Amino acid sequence: MMPNHEAPTMTEGPGVYFDGRTSTRHDVRVTLTPSGLQVDDGEGRRIADWPYDQLDELNAPAHVLRLGRRNNPALERLEILDPPFAHAIDLLAQNVDRTGAIQRRQRISVIRWAVVATTMLLVVATIGVPAIAERLAPVVPVAIERKLGDAVNMQVRGQLDTGNAGAAFECGSGASETAGRAALDKIIRRLEGAAALRMPLTSTVVRRPEPNALALPGGQIYVFSGLIDKAENADEVAGVIAHEIGHVAHRDGTQAVLQGAGLSFLFGMLLGDFVGGGAVVIAAKTVLQSSYSREAESAADRYGAELMKRTHGNAHALATMLAKIGGATEPGMKILLDHPETKARIAAINRIATDGPTVPFLNAAEWAALKRICAG
Amino acid sequence: MTNLGADETAMAGVRFLGARKTYWRLLTRGALLLMVTLGIYRFWLATDVRRFLWANTDVAGESLEYNGTPLELLSGFLVAVAILIPVYAGFFLTTLDMGLVGEISGPLGFALLFLIGQYGLYRARRYRLTRTIYRGLRFHQEGSNWGFALRATLWWTLTVFTIGLAYPFQLASLERYKLRYTFYGDLPGRFAGVGWRLFLRGLPMWLLVMAPLLITVGAFIEVVDMEALSDALSQASDEEMMAIIEAGNPGLIPVLVFGTLMLGASVAFAVLLYPAYQAVVLRWWMSGLRFGALEMASALRMRHVYGAYFRFVGLVLLFALVLAILALPALYAVGTLTGGTETTAAGEIAATAILLGVYVVAALGLSVIYRVTVLLSLWQLGMESLQLSGLSALDGVQAQGRPASALGEGLTDALHVGSYS
Repeated sequence: MMPNHEAPTMTEGPGVYFDGRTSTRHDVRVTLTPSGLQVDDGEGRRIADWPYDQLDELNAPAHVLRLGRRNNPALERLEILDPPFAHAIDLLAQNVDRTGAIQRRQRISVIRWAVVATTMLLVVATIGVPAIAERLAPVVPVAIERKLGDAVNMQVRGQLDTGNAGAAFECGSGASETAGRAALDKIIRRLEGAAALRMPLTSTVVRRPEPNALALPGGQIYVFSGLIDKAENADEVAGVIAHEIGHVAHRDGTQAVLQGAGLSFLFGMLLGDFVGGGAVVIAAKTVLQSSYSREAESAADRYGAELMKRTHGNAHALATMLAKIGGATEPGMKILLDHPETKARIAAINRIATDGPTVPFLNAAEWAALKRICAG
Repeated sequence: MTNLGADETAMAGVRFLGARKTYWRLLTRGALLLMVTLGIYRFWLATDVRRFLWANTDVAGESLEYNGTPLELLSGFLVAVAILIPVYAGFFLTTLDMGLVGEISGPLGFALLFLIGQYGLYRARRYRLTRTIYRGLRFHQEGSNWGFALRATLWWTLTVFTIGLAYPFQLASLERYKLRYTFYGDLPGRFAGVGWRLFLRGLPMWLLVMAPLLITVGAFIEVVDMEALSDALSQASDEEMMAIIEAGNPGLIPVLVFGTLMLGASVAFAVLLYPAYQAVVLRWWMSGLRFGALEMASALRMRHVYGAYFRFVGLVLLFALVLAILALPALYAVGTLTGGTETTAAGEIAATAILLGVYVVAALGLSVIYRVTVLLSLWQLGMESLQLSGLSALDGVQAQGRPASALGEGLTDALHVGSYS
């Protein structure tokens, strides 16, 4: 059955021809000349004369060799069903390759380019996205940042405000709390005066047991009551607030929103939804975003320590406070934690802090009042 | 030579010549490359799949040809992304607005994207048809993309509001629209399927799935004192709430148990009837296709469709077993990486990557099995069940139509509506 490759190959055979203008099927004779193939109909009329270097092998079942002429606007087709004859054409025409070697070569080059493109995407995601967000955030108008802050604020309050057994979520408005509110304002004024921010700060102490604080886009700072409970002096509270002012100054909230949008676009849209891709996208986003925010935290630490120094506060207090709450950070996977290793952070802050004389943020009475800001 | 031995019935019908083994190999390799390229390979895979399905489908002795290219799909996708970026940016900005615009931007955005998705589906069909060649002539599609999108959106709304009862009429109406504007050369298509017929065949299945749910709703209304329930739900503590609920509604707990059982029954019916539903729709659809005087009739057997699903379930079980055995060392590695007291971030990243890898292998494996056992079988069974009459209509057809761009394919890809097939 198999054609003998040593024997002279066939130079003439049957074929089926479609002229691309009508659906009529023509049974034809195909003759192989040194430069191309000639197609003749039953009565010996020449229908087509195709040079070998203009032949294209087209999509067809395995037992059919379907040929077309390159750059032909009409869909002229010649089909060869006789295997030895198809083999003879294969040997003569460069672009006809029934072994699939051309296809394999193309596929390998596609894979190479796709891998390059994937690598580039990952580079853009790890370096490009935070860099773009960093440059874009300062030019976002304050009005838009405020709106963004309002939107985030609603979400955050929805998550944090869990009833508090009837007491208000915000502290500092009750009759016995106004003195504490004044003490807080005194700290904020001193820090804000030295910070020269583009937008005024709004700061609030809220009833939450965790020793923590939050800065939102638009200059809203939440200090949790748990933080004040855990602090031993006003400078420790001021240090954490200075760190949060760092987030406001760096516009980290806006940057995080921009980063999230950028990553969603990169991974969600450019990389398609192949099955199982969704989980990869979510995992990549989570890991990348927590790595971005680790850097933002270190930068806010540096800013906070510098700000404490400039306002003649005790910059070491931020480190002391961190050491206290560092042990309280929730257990979990390290790559998903927002904050860098506490020890490294404390060391970095203490490197900035100096041991000169400091001016306390509050006197003893004011500090006592701040401690009672959530007394109700 | 091939035609000499072919008898008349084979010539008059549709045959599928593809070897299942080839398709397995094509999809498995595709899945591996999708993984390595994070999905970028999908344009090449989609083209390979179509080339396989088209070329191996033989209609009256002549096979179809797919002449689309992966680069067309890729550029269609990139253009679609460029169009969608301003749309998404607009939504992002309006959600920042706290006013009325912000409030309605969610539903409005969904409606707009749905409309664009339907627009993309019709354009994608246009691309596929103009890349389908038979006897040296291409198919093509006319009609308005937006006209179809609007129709489809309205029909989907109606179908959702009627809990699916309008779906047969939706299918009939939209298929009439599509086929009215579908041409093979200058030979116009037509859809002769009737919505009522599909409705009557589908109604028993719909009732079997919906009845348990309706009974449950009825039981709830009968037993539960709504006022007492809403009073209970407004209570602060859980214990108080439960106490009031139990006191006010002595029949509630049995009804809840009953409801859960009924829900289970409904889901079970839906799963068991799904192959039957697919067979009914496919047969009805294929029997309605016309091109000029060419008529098609399908004799698709329901038990063959069930056979395909049984093979799917069997292979999935086998695959799950193999995967579980192969994943054991990987899970052990995860345990050692994260189990110690001193866990490093690098170890955690490695462990996460391993878990993700297992997940992706499982998902892609399932998808490959589904595409071979169910989708390929449906294609093959459907094609081979076709009987053609009036074949002479295919002779002397004149060329018509020009190739269309792949923007529609790109839009459906970027919007995640209907994947390539």
